[in-house]
Amino acid sequence: MKTLQQLLFVAGLAGLSLTVQAHDPKEHMKDSEKPNCEAMKDMDHEKMDMNNPVHQAMMKKCMAQMHDMGEMKGMEGQDHSQHKDAAKEKSEHQH
Amino acid sequence: MNKNTFSCAKCLLVVILLILAGILGFVYSGWYPIGADNKHHALTYWALETLRERSIARASADISVPGDLDSPERLLAGGPDYHEMCSGCHLQPAKAQSDFTLGLYPAPPNLTEAKSGQISTTENQRTFWIIKHGIKASGMPSWAPGHDDERIWSMVAFINRLPELSASEYQILTSRTDDNGHAH
Ligand code: HEC
Ligand SMILES: [Cu+2]
Repeated sequence: MKTLQQLLFVAGLAGLSLTVQAHDPKEHMKDSEKPNCEAMKDMDHEKMDMNNPVHQAMMKKCMAQMHDMGEMKGMEGQDHSQHKDAAKEKSEHQH
Repeated sequence: MNKNTFSCAKCLLVVILLILAGILGFVYSGWYPIGADNKHHALTYWALETLRERSIARASADISVPGDLDSPERLLAGGPDYHEMCSGCHLQPAKAQSDFTLGLYPAPPNLTEAKSGQISTTENQRTFWIIKHGIKASGMPSWAPGHDDERIWSMVAFINRLPELSASEYQILTSRTDDNGHAH
């Protein structure tokens, strides 16, 4: 009897800790929007540094939409291999 | 012990008791203006600020900072969390004020404002500690419940870059796509 009680107690605790632990973004006050990747068209890519993590992050985020978007200012002659790598990494990253 | 020192100890005791009674009386009287629209005296403000900074510096000194704070993955993980949980108080590019920045006291600092120079290890430790533990009797919550250290470090990484972001860069970095619901 006592072990049963203890078991129930531990199970209860485990359940409780599960509900407290992972904080789903859905619980946030505000909701993020979809990325407005169109805006990247208007950015001057010649001035952007491919080593800048902000630029790299935007590329990753907008990868899927990018190739449908057609040409972007200053991007014509650039090496796109880095972007392709980023895209590959992203699809592998899905758990 | 001669007679003089004895009476001195006695009067010191009386003075201490009077001060304690005064403090207790003040606490119970309700005379302290607790409203957030009633600003601290400059001296109180200095004392509280010094207390806060000394406390955080001591408590955060041993935190080890991850080496990948500059990675795009960190920015993409921290961005949406920052936007959804923090931007109401700490603002975003092209937004100069909110109800929270106007009404909270102490006011939440505008985290889109540029800091001078390189971000030091000490600064990263401080930012991480503040997000994780919050600051007592201010509007700054502790975000440890529900957010693991990794998630907090990603927000630190994002905050480090925030001052240099344009409004459209901010929009892209803080957005969520279906494949990046990253609940870790
Ligand atoms: C309800 C408003 C509010 C929210 C939401 C909020 N904060 Fe704060 N935050 C504050 C206030 C107020 C302070 C200043 C406290 C003080 O001066 O003692 C502060 C201070 C800070 C500081 C220290 C800034 C500095 O340089 O002194 C950091 C960093 C910070 N908050 C990060 C965050 C992050 C990250 C989030 C979201 C996860 C967040 N805050 C959410 C109100 C808020
Ligand atoms: Cu959250």
